[in-house]
Amino acid sequence: MPSWILYSCVVIVFWGVVGLFQKLGTNRVSAHTLVVWLTVGYILLVPILLARTGVSGLGRMTLLIGVLGGFTNGLGAWYLFASLEAGAKASIAIPLTALNPLLTIILAFSFLGERLTPVQWVGIAAALIAGAMISYETEA
Amino acid sequence: MPKWLRYALLCIFWWGVFGFLSKIGSTKASPIQMQILFTIGMLPLVAAALLRRKIDRDRVGAAYGVLIGVLAGLGGIGYFAAMQAGKASLVGPVTSLFPLLTVLLAVGILKERMNKIQVAGVIVGLISIAVLSV
Repeated sequence: MPSWILYSCVVIVFWGVVGLFQKLGTNRVSAHTLVVWLTVGYILLVPILLARTGVSGLGRMTLLIGVLGGFTNGLGAWYLFASLEAGAKASIAIPLTALNPLLTIILAFSFLGERLTPVQWVGIAAALIAGAMISYETEA
Repeated sequence: MPKWLRYALLCIFWWGVFGFLSKIGSTKASPIQMQILFTIGMLPLVAAALLRRKIDRDRVGAAYGVLIGVLAGLGGIGYFAAMQAGKASLVGPVTSLFPLLTVLLAVGILKERMNKIQVAGVIVGLISIAVLSV
């Protein structure tokens, strides 16, 4: 089993549990409130992470890319909330936004020269379709 | 184009760019370094959210939020590790399968029910992981 898929499964476990707590959290507070507290959680991790490694050895470009990563991720979340507040049906908007890795694929193909085997194509097509299907929640 | 659709497409755009930046950054920085920089990048947006909106006062809600942040941050380190080890075009789609576990946990713990499309999605998602594991 390739190591990237093991790491990806670890991600699914952590973020999958996050999804559950998100459901529980938004039952009590607004999504915006949750984002503010969530950031407190992120910040709490930073001293622990900094104790293991600094970031001073990194080049300026890498620093910028890392920070922009956090910024673009936050912007994406911001627009998802904005979409829902503009009257989007969650059952449509959330499966739609689950297709975001499509753009990552296009960028990685265009700028990083990534190529996939036919079997990997089948795998990611299935993953993308599954992602959209799983986030299809009918109104309760 | 309706407003909600424009926003949803912007969400796809920025999250798609995030995946790409994560890959480029992870070739130079370690997963832990990436997570530190990622957290810094979030701060301006959270500051904006704090200024614009009222924060609900609820201790349990706050505790959930902090817990979510810690877990999401640890997951983030795994995400950057996956990006460092593999192709963005594979890691992006697979890691976005995390709601697969959320819906299963919601069934087990919150006694929620999945609709037929979700059940089929879970099966297709597991198959995709199996296919990519070979």
